[in-house]
Amino acid sequence: MEQDVVVSAKGLTKSYRMSKTNIVKALCGVNIEVRKGDFSAIIGPSGCGKSTLMHILGLLDCPDSGELFIDGEDVTNLKDRNAYKIRAQKIGFIFQGFNLIPTLTALENVVLAGKYGGMKSKARKDKAIELMKLVGLEDRMNHKPSELSGGQQQRVAIARALMNDPSLILADEPTGELDTKTSLEIINILKKLNKEGKTFLIVTHNMEVAEACKKTIRLRDGNNA
Amino acid sequence: MEIFRNMWRRKFRTFLTIIGISVGIFAFTVMGSLALKLNKMIDGGKKYITGQISIAPKGTNFSTGQMSGTLPIDTLNKIAQVEGVEAVEPSVSLALDEPNPDEPVSMGMGVPPTIYTIDPNSNFKNRNWETLEMKEGELIGVDNSDDEITIGHTIALDKKWKVGDEVKIRGREFKVAGILEKTMTGPDSYVFIKLPIVREMYIEANPFLKSLKEKADEAAKVSDTELSKLSPEAREQIVQAKSFNVNDISDSASVSWKDGEDPEKVVERIKEKFKNDVVVLSPKKMGEEIDKASAMFNAVILGSAMLALIVGLFSIINTMIMSISERTKEIGIKKAIGASGWSIALEYTVEAGVISMLGGLVGMGLGVLMATLVNNKMAEKGAEIFLIESGFLIQVIAFSFIIGIVAGVIPAMRASKMKVVEAIREL
Repeated sequence: MEQDVVVSAKGLTKSYRMSKTNIVKALCGVNIEVRKGDFSAIIGPSGCGKSTLMHILGLLDCPDSGELFIDGEDVTNLKDRNAYKIRAQKIGFIFQGFNLIPTLTALENVVLAGKYGGMKSKARKDKAIELMKLVGLEDRMNHKPSELSGGQQQRVAIARALMNDPSLILADEPTGELDTKTSLEIINILKKLNKEGKTFLIVTHNMEVAEACKKTIRLRDGNNA
Repeated sequence: MEIFRNMWRRKFRTFLTIIGISVGIFAFTVMGSLALKLNKMIDGGKKYITGQISIAPKGTNFSTGQMSGTLPIDTLNKIAQVEGVEAVEPSVSLALDEPNPDEPVSMGMGVPPTIYTIDPNSNFKNRNWETLEMKEGELIGVDNSDDEITIGHTIALDKKWKVGDEVKIRGREFKVAGILEKTMTGPDSYVFIKLPIVREMYIEANPFLKSLKEKADEAAKVSDTELSKLSPEAREQIVQAKSFNVNDISDSASVSWKDGEDPEKVVERIKEKFKNDVVVLSPKKMGEEIDKASAMFNAVILGSAMLALIVGLFSIINTMIMSISERTKEIGIKKAIGASGWSIALEYTVEAGVISMLGGLVGMGLGVLMATLVNNKMAEKGAEIFLIESGFLIQVIAFSFIIGIVAGVIPAMRASKMKVVEAIREL
């Protein structure tokens, strides 16, 4: 496997049994390759399997069949008790709904990822402060998520995703709940980070976001389009 | 810190859970302190009783405490001759106050106020309790007059008697020569009076013995010359009446063994010769009986407290399950950003432990407060019923934390096994 391939997925399939007779095929043999420094978008209509693919690539779910490698390591059927290490150290998540822990401050939310990544207490606090500055929130570090705007919350989520220097950052509709102006700000932050060498795979149906990406992967009915 | 914030999210529910567990811990603290106090008393009694061989009248039931008659002095004198026996000390005990039929029986804790004999001339020594520490004054001995007494700590407090006080017991005048240091067991409730005096008081208190003594006193007035003039039947009655001797009165006796002797073997030798005359109790057997009784007693007391704790335990389980179902989303987020199942389980388990420990602190605080208030009230009579020990309190807090951990394990395991993708779908 080539050195700079971060994610390599071949023939990924996934079905969901909705009832005894109703089986929904979410993925029907998807192939995908993400290289270091990529800034790719997965686009497609609703129900095409974007989110399922995202969950499988983020080791939140297992494929029924196919192969999945992250940084050259076969993670296809990794059990949850082992997958958390990869999730903590190699994958960063940015969600549509920000998904910050409401009881923690912005800084503590970022620090938490460092804790799960195995960083020492002082180091993770220093790094989190540095990242909060990077996303322009140094003056909002001690605010709870409920005291931040949507754009600010998403910036905290970006800082959290960067905490353990992951090989891949998965973003699921990162601008889905933001207005146009704030969406643009977030896209610019992501682009800036990509220029600094971060690898992004963004699931979106926002064409502005897709156009900002260097590469586009289209899905249709659970297949590569 | 996050734990406290999570608890604070649902203040009222956390408060109710803390109250639930605190009720259990309150019961545990109060009952435990009661058990500690009683165990201390029992231990003192055990220490004493296992330091001697006890002799009781035939028919005495030690389980019910029912004494039966008096001991034949001849038998006691013979027991003193058994190989290995160092000394035999007869003793007599009597309730301090004459029972008043018009007053209800008070159900006090521990040993009731008792007159106990002391025989300064005896060589008997309890192997485990050779001396009694004095708080004030002295333990009556050979040099003290017959009307001098030594009293226990509780008696001194209850009766407000001081050294040098002239006091009246069962119609007789006595002078307090000393007060014992607190022993937390039997002697605290004893009034020590010289053996011959207690014998007289014992006879006074017993109408049958009293009539025997009166007859003996009357018979003593009959001279041998007068006796020879009486009919054989009348002579027989007078001789029998004369045979009554105050010094024969003793309701129990303590036997000490010689240095190097095995007390159990000495017991066997006494039993071999006198099993039909008296009840002989070995130190070992008495120790076992006391252990059995105290184990049963502790089981009842602590069992009832445990019941209250189990209720508290379920309230924690309920709270944690509700809390986890409300925080499914957070569990999903945490797992997505790299939390292991173990760290999620640990987080919820510790949260349950902290809730329980807070309940423990509240319950223990209230328990200690109640025990202290009751003790302070009872201390006026020297009859504290709770023993509050810091070691026990630390155990109570540790126990409340452990209870929480145990209660938290099942919900925490559920949280840790939650499928990330399912939790994520809640987002």
